[in-house]
Amino acid sequence: MAEKNSDFEPNIVAFLCNWCSYAGADLAGTSRIQYPSNVRVIRVMCSGRVNPLFVMNALQQGADGVLISGCHPGDCHYMQGNYYARRRFMLMRNFLEYLGVEPERVRMSWVSASEGAKWKEVIEEVVSGVKSVGPMNKFQRRQLNW
Amino acid sequence: MNGKPKIGVYVCHCGTNIAGVVNVEEVVQFASTLPDVVVARNYSYMCSDPGQALITDDIEKFGLNRVVVASCSPRMHEPTFRKTLLSGGLNPYFLEMANIREQCSWVHEDPIAATEKAKRIVEAAVVKARRLEALDVKEVDVEPACLIIGAGIAGIQAALDIADAGFKVYLVEKSPTVGGHMAQLDKTFPTLDCSACILTPKMVDVANHPNIELMTYSQVEEISGYIGNFEVKVRKKSRFVDMDKCTGCGACAEVCRMAGRIPNEFDEGIGMRGAIYLPFPQAVPAKYTIDKENCLFLSKGKCGESPKCKEACQAEAINFDLQDEIVEFKVGTIIVATGYDVFDARKKPEYAYGVYDNVLTALEFERLVNASGPTGGKIVMLERGKKKKKKEGEEVEPPKVPKSITFIQCVGSRDKSVGNEYCSRVCCMYTAKLAHLAKDKIPDCEVTIFYMDVRAFGKGFEEFYDRVRREGVRYIRGNPSEIFKRGDKLVVKAEDTLTATPLEHETDMVVLSVGLVPRSDNREIIDLLKLSQSSDLFYLEAHPKLRPVDTASDGIFLAGVCQGPKDIPDAVAQAKGAASAAMIPMASGKVKVEAQTSVVNEATCRGCGFCVAVCPYTAIELVEVNRNGWPVKVARVNEALCKGCGACAAACLSGSIQQRSFKDIQILPQIQALGVK
Amino acid sequence: MVEIEKLREIAREVISREDVRQLIGYRQGTYGFRARPAFVTTPEEVDQLIFSPACVNNLATYLTLEEKLPVPRGQEPDLRKVAVMVKGCDSRALVQQMEEKAYERDRIVVLGIPCTGVVDMDKVEERFPNVLSRGEIAMEGDKFVLSFDGKREEVPKEELLADKCRRCRYPTPLVYDQLLDEEVARFADDDYSDVLELEKRSAEEKWAYWEEKFSRCIRCYSCRNVCPMCYCEDCVLDRLNPQWMRRSVDISENTAYHIARAYHLAGRCIQCGECQRVCPVEIPLMELNRKFYKDVEELYDYEPGTDAEAPPLLATFKVDDREDFIL
Ligand SMILES: Cc1cc2nc3c(=O)[nH]c(=O)nc-3n(C[C@H](O)[C@H](O)[C@H](O)COP(=O)(O)OP(=O)(O)OC[C@H]3O[C@@H](n4cnc5c(N)ncnc54)[C@H](O)[C@@H]3O)c2cc1C
Ligand code: SF4
Ligand code: SF4
Repeated sequence: MAEKNSDFEPNIVAFLCNWCSYAGADLAGTSRIQYPSNVRVIRVMCSGRVNPLFVMNALQQGADGVLISGCHPGDCHYMQGNYYARRRFMLMRNFLEYLGVEPERVRMSWVSASEGAKWKEVIEEVVSGVKSVGPMNKFQRRQLNW
Repeated sequence: MNGKPKIGVYVCHCGTNIAGVVNVEEVVQFASTLPDVVVARNYSYMCSDPGQALITDDIEKFGLNRVVVASCSPRMHEPTFRKTLLSGGLNPYFLEMANIREQCSWVHEDPIAATEKAKRIVEAAVVKARRLEALDVKEVDVEPACLIIGAGIAGIQAALDIADAGFKVYLVEKSPTVGGHMAQLDKTFPTLDCSACILTPKMVDVANHPNIELMTYSQVEEISGYIGNFEVKVRKKSRFVDMDKCTGCGACAEVCRMAGRIPNEFDEGIGMRGAIYLPFPQAVPAKYTIDKENCLFLSKGKCGESPKCKEACQAEAINFDLQDEIVEFKVGTIIVATGYDVFDARKKPEYAYGVYDNVLTALEFERLVNASGPTGGKIVMLERGKKKKKKEGEEVEPPKVPKSITFIQCVGSRDKSVGNEYCSRVCCMYTAKLAHLAKDKIPDCEVTIFYMDVRAFGKGFEEFYDRVRREGVRYIRGNPSEIFKRGDKLVVKAEDTLTATPLEHETDMVVLSVGLVPRSDNREIIDLLKLSQSSDLFYLEAHPKLRPVDTASDGIFLAGVCQGPKDIPDAVAQAKGAASAAMIPMASGKVKVEAQTSVVNEATCRGCGFCVAVCPYTAIELVEVNRNGWPVKVARVNEALCKGCGACAAACLSGSIQQRSFKDIQILPQIQALGVK
Repeated sequence: MVEIEKLREIAREVISREDVRQLIGYRQGTYGFRARPAFVTTPEEVDQLIFSPACVNNLATYLTLEEKLPVPRGQEPDLRKVAVMVKGCDSRALVQQMEEKAYERDRIVVLGIPCTGVVDMDKVEERFPNVLSRGEIAMEGDKFVLSFDGKREEVPKEELLADKCRRCRYPTPLVYDQLLDEEVARFADDDYSDVLELEKRSAEEKWAYWEEKFSRCIRCYSCRNVCPMCYCEDCVLDRLNPQWMRRSVDISENTAYHIARAYHLAGRCIQCGECQRVCPVEIPLMELNRKFYKDVEELYDYEPGTDAEAPPLLATFKVDDREDFIL
């Protein structure tokens, strides 16, 4: 698999909270910080909105990895959403790992509105992590028209 | 209005900001192949007037009912394009933005990769747009009145500001008088202003202000509703004294059979009062109150031949039949200013508070140095619990004056063993103040302060601390481990941590600089208003830096120590902040409520209440409905309280609660569009 | 062991009460050693009730499974209480159901059975195949005694005991109105050895293991239907709009189903083992549930179904919850 990985460009779906991480990703843009283009973003108002089953669904729909990003603890615009998210994804990530889904594919981060640079680091980390485990070839859907 | 989707896609060049990297034509070409897209265009600046006109024209021409703008971040121009839709006659929530600038063209240099990503982003926006629904843009009217709970300095200041601005204020105070803790203080640090001199005029103003309805000896019993429209129910407890008739002459108190036998709360129990009393001479309102528990007539049904107070009252104000009164009113905003309790020194048994008469709390010492206190401002050794029976002709020995006074700082603060990790922020300075007053009143008195650190951070604090040290007050760095008695002296056992020498310090009087703690009855308010608490158990503000006077619930604000320890200037500043924050919605008369709220499908809801438990705004409750003749519980969202975070939607196992604009049915297609390679 | 006469006497009293509509207990099955649920509505029916180590079913399921047919116009719904017999493990389902407000405590009458363990019926039938006449199982000390066809066989408890009983922490019901026997002290504990063993494998090995299991699934949904915690009116996994998963039976949809089912039980599964018991293709569903169960206990010190007042696990948090996995 190793030689296959060298030109493997993973496809990563990210869920970003509007107030911190999405704003942080915007700041990376405003600061013209360059990073890999593998991550595609879905904006939600709060990381607490992200149902862990979205992760399952994304992996099933063809994503090689999933990222959920919210405000740092204590900074949630809605006070508690990121705390709920933290619990839910801790469990979901452990569980998927138990099924054989490499933990590199399910990542979570805290990125604040001022952390454009951190956003880049997170993306690089996630992309290289997913690259290291190769394409998701476990339970994605084969036929693609909904 | 939802109808079959007809989508227009508008790809912005943003000059060369987008078009310099992303092949805009290719994206348009791609977009036009997507389902339900009837028109796809590109333009140099979509946010410009001609750009927006493209959209409104197309709405007209093609009957568009959904619009996708692929341009900058929605955090930038979503409001702009929502307005465009509105002016084109479409519901503003039929807009979806595709961020191909901040999160694409600005961060990727490779035109091919960037164009590919832009297509995916646009596709995800289109598939979401197909599922968008019209949302109501709602406003609620705001009642131009404010409820303020607690009339310490914070509540008083907020009330005066709001009333001066012309709004109605209902000021509810639990105790018989306004003033709170500040009324108990003698001088205030660091300026040594006389507390009463600066406070009493405000107390009087609050009572006389035409816009303020003051309710003392009263308690809020019920609050329902939300910002703009809170319904409030207050119980005005009976004082058994007709407020309109009482002239405040005090003839009653003098004759009360219980006079001098009940510890006066206001004097921290050092002074005594009767069953009918005024907490202190400057109390506002200057009306007497009968304390039901201690009044012989009210508790035992009999007070001598007949109640003496009633006989003495020329105004005929005393009426034992008076009942509690319930008043109801409506307000638009609420300020909570319920203050604090001082730390219960009994929780540190090593300091023997409550064991030795002359171990005092700082608040007791405040009463002792206070000119209007029980000793008329004389610092004397206390003999607690001894009834001073004045036998005829017996010489009463004058009380002794302490020759040495020792303060211990940080009692109940910065102390994990009692569960209070925080610094109370005022003790260092009030200790310095009280030490200064002690020196001032008894010049030959030896004054010693045991401290951990001296935190003199405020304006004029360091200077004041310096001054007090120069006056001869001795500071010893060390946390005493024990207080015991040797002969008629108290001994403070400690270690001087600067010289690492253990020491036993003899003294006449020990003053414990107790910290500020959340009120023991805070639960009442928490339950009424569903406030949250921070880990120190003070009320939690909405954001520690940017929303320090707000709470999680719109229209409810915090002022004073109830939010966390602070001194008077900070309490006043926060009160003014809370007042102005409360006045914003009242002045505008209307508030917008979130449109992207949650909504429950009652047919599938299983009534488990998971959503109720996660909602940070207590916007959801379980209500009973009839399902096929059976009573079942289902969740119901109060849209005025919902802030649209969507936490409930992720918690619901049956998918019964969904956040508008972020429904599963809208997000799953996005996932699919982005997942596909 | 519960005395059958005492059990019936109490059951008779309960079902004779005006405010009790139905009593759910156990009766002998039609053949072999099996026991099956009994739905008793009259005092006469009480004599069929039994309790023995064959009574494996978790009857708590029926409290939420019962379909509420539309009440005909002009009639009142029958809101009388339902009485139910529960073992220790089953009682946790009641506690969890009440934590989730499925019903109020006063809607049910709980007859608690302190339990020393039940059999794994598969093991029994493997050992004594083709017993078609009615057989009985009793527990005597550390042995199961099986009587059938005029024979009496003693088998050491260890050999037939259900897996869940080997790890049972609550042999005495946690909630009851009447206890049918003396309390039974905890005789086992959970060391999660099964989960730990699987956790040790490589990602490849894990997936190979689960791929084989999931590909067997025929999506009959028995596991969901028997689960006392799965009682949504309309399961989100069945819905077409939005469609979380397709109905096709293939590794992708099957895996999605098993992930979603297990996740929906995180912090809720009370380890009664019913799902795995009823699975016709022998998917080790408990190994899925138990991963969450173990993590929930380790990470959040939370044991579902032990405290009806506790907040639901995923509807609460601690500020210092672990987050070392977060970037
Ligand atoms: C010993 C000591 C000395 C101090 N010295 C100084 C000093 O020199 N300088 C300085 O700046 N600060 C000093 N402070 C701090 C100062 O006391 C506070 O900053 C200030 O009093 C805070 O005012 P507040 O209005 O927030 O609270 P409070 O004064 O506690 O007022 C709260 C009011 O709300 C009422 N209330 C509570 N609950 C309810 C309810 N449920 N319904 C209705 N009413 C309710 C209470 O009865 C009270 O009247 C000192 C504190 C102590 C303990
Ligand atoms: S969206 Fe957030 S604020 Fe609104 S009801 Fe749900 S949890 Fe509460
Ligand atoms: S979480 Fe879902 S099922 Fe439970 S009460 Fe809320 S909406 Fe209903």
